Amino acid sequence: MSQKKVLVVDDDPDVRLFNTTVVEENGFIPIEATNGEEGLKKLKEEKPDLVILDVLMPRQSGIRLYRELKTDREFKDVNVIMLSGIAKKTFLRSQKALTEFGGEAVPEPEVYLEKPVEPEELAAAIKEFLD
Amino acid sequence: MDIQKVLFVTKFEELWFDALESLMDLRQVSLNHVVFLNVIQREKVALHRGKGYEKKEEVRLREMANIRFINWAENLFEQGIEVGAYIVVGSLVQKVIMAIENENIDLVVIGNQRKGKIEQLYAHSDIMEIIRRSGTPVLVYKYKSGPEAGAEKPFEKPLLATSFSETSNIAVNYLKNLGKVIKKINVINVADPKLLKESSAMAVQKTRKESRRKLEKICDMLSSEGIDATPSVYIGNPVHEIENAAKEFNASMIIAGTSAKESWRERFVGSTPRKLAENSVFPTLLIPPGKQI
Repeated sequence: MSQKKVLVVDDDPDVRLFNTTVVEENGFIPIEATNGEEGLKKLKEEKPDLVILDVLMPRQSGIRLYRELKTDREFKDVNVIMLSGIAKKTFLRSQKALTEFGGEAVPEPEVYLEKPVEPEELAAAIKEFLD
Repeated sequence: MDIQKVLFVTKFEELWFDALESLMDLRQVSLNHVVFLNVIQREKVALHRGKGYEKKEEVRLREMANIRFINWAENLFEQGIEVGAYIVVGSLVQKVIMAIENENIDLVVIGNQRKGKIEQLYAHSDIMEIIRRSGTPVLVYKYKSGPEAGAEKPFEKPLLATSFSETSNIAVNYLKNLGKVIKKINVINVADPKLLKESSAMAVQKTRKESRRKLEKICDMLSSEGIDATPSVYIGNPVHEIENAAKEFNASMIIAGTSAKESWRERFVGSTPRKLAENSVFPTLLIPPGKQI
């Protein structure tokens, strides 16, 4: 069976290094993207099994990428771990506001972790979906 | 061109979140994305004799900026606005231009980058440099009544200073899209005071009449877009008269076009838009030449 892939989307190089190390150490293949726009491109190219997504990023935020992912027929079932300094409450309110502006309603993310996160906590969340 | 994406450049010393909130009226027209930019000046983390590059200080400054931006972003995200952020070390002008290009920005909002007299003499104005190199409109944000009084809505009652140049016409086109946020606009032209040296009063009156006719034409264009516009002719030093007119009309902002390039004379003596941007008490929106808007 081929190794499972995890897409890590974060603009902070230190956080990307941390996340990809945790992914690799747990036996999965990390794929990196530095913003939402690049994340969407890698999502389509690499078809990962799981996405670890930051919220506040240049070019396109995690809020928009999450929305695009969850409203896309091909990717809506891909599990997402949100990992951000932005509060979960804000994330949920922003999705509600975008839905009110005429967008499609999207489900809550499977896991929402606030930065900083311990490696064990992230590893446990990853394994929950991929093991 | 619509104002969909705003770049908000702050050092957290001269521009606060209320300044950004005062621009939220632009959502009625097209604003849906705000990008924050904090530039950590190199001299704050490097160039200190015997210390080398102070990585710890950079991390500290980055995290301070990050905490502020997260608070601000949460506020905007909850309103359904898309937010991005850059915290970078380097030169202000270069980093602003980088962000404009990366993000395809429609309007830059920046605090007054006031420099000392000696610096002003030798240094090219950062704001004029950004406009010249990026071709993007720049709003030099100021707290009209001081930061303690809070921010007013700059687009609510602006004053457009026109010289009837091509860039002035671009400024008019820019404003035509903002009918939903502009309640009233005063359009003025400042005639050359040399006119007063004419021997005949008729010659002075003729020039005034000609300027007035052109101003009325501009006001008619704006009125056709639902904007209440009033023309006025002034005579004298352009910077002083524009400032006086803004006070007389209790304007919320001054809008002016900038020339294609700053001449050497302008660089040392200072152009009217540059002087307004640096010295006026009013927020100043500078429109660059040539950009398709």
